Amino acid sequence: MAEPVSGTTAEPPVAEAPAAAKMKSEEEEKGMRVMVAVDESDASLYALSWTLDHFMAASSAPAWLGSLIVVHVQQPFHQYILPAGAVTVYAPAAVTDSMRKAQEQNTANVLSRAKRICVERNVTVETLVMDGEPKEMICQAVELKSVDLIVVGSRGLGRIKRAFLGSVSDYVAHHAKCPVLIVKPLKEDH
Amino acid sequence: MAAAAEKTPMMVVVGIDDSEHSYYAIQWVISNFLSVHGTFKLAIIHAQPSPAYAVGLSGTGTADALPYVESDLTKISSRVIDKAKELCSANSVKDVVYEVIEGDPRNILPEAVEKYHADVLVVGSHGYGAIKRAVLGSVSDHCAHHAHCSVMIVKNPKPKH
Repeated sequence: MAEPVSGTTAEPPVAEAPAAAKMKSEEEEKGMRVMVAVDESDASLYALSWTLDHFMAASSAPAWLGSLIVVHVQQPFHQYILPAGAVTVYAPAAVTDSMRKAQEQNTANVLSRAKRICVERNVTVETLVMDGEPKEMICQAVELKSVDLIVVGSRGLGRIKRAFLGSVSDYVAHHAKCPVLIVKPLKEDH
Repeated sequence: MAAAAEKTPMMVVVGIDDSEHSYYAIQWVISNFLSVHGTFKLAIIHAQPSPAYAVGLSGTGTADALPYVESDLTKISSRVIDKAKELCSANSVKDVVYEVIEGDPRNILPEAVEKYHADVLVVGSHGYGAIKRAVLGSVSDHCAHHAHCSVMIVKNPKPKH
């Protein structure tokens, strides 16, 4: 059997997890539950394709990827318009409706792009949609689905912007209960 | 699976220090990545704090203490590397490079990423809270921002209530 030049021995997946007291499914010890958080940004979809490209040994059955979940968090839009003067005006039903529809459309778009990336690589994916503040919901989704790894993209905000705009990847890196992978977009200047 | 599509092996740099979190990170990488059969190359980098940094500014007598601190740190470093080697050989991982670099891990790790053209930088996490992070600083934070590649932060599963 020709070995790759790098010389790394291909060990069959040994039941080697003494220190890994994590929630690994027992039935498939090769199975690693990976969740990727996506939104409309290209960075997050890049994160998804990066993950799949780097962690799929062969085009045949992915030995590594136990299961893949793609999660999209819908940010709640406020049901009321900003206070005009001293009075908070509630948006008429029609407006909320159309906003909601637009949001659903957006979500559907994001998920279909994500699914397409997975299908291209022959990976089955489960999708999950949550409502709320993205950073919190992602961490909740991690616990909900007992994932082993959460992948987020990074918009590459600088330090100042991060402080003000907040960063989902920062928050998740600190608060998620499982390992976090932050995928950075390719830098053109190298 | 040598018949797989010829991809260049993925380069993984793991930054470690003398803590349980680091060894856990190595073990995690090995258990999870390397079951993908041989498309990974590993570089394990230990950032050895420089003596002055380790001692801090502790007044008089520091200059005398430095040589001892230095040799102590070197001892710790070799112990760390030995333990890493142990972990790797216990899992039959070959194709690993080990390096000890003196200095601040926050600078060393991104540099190592450049040097090895890493695809992923893996670091453990001490799991400091917000205050400690602000005071002690966080290597994993800094790397997450400054490394030019994807960064994975491996956390110890703390038995949280």
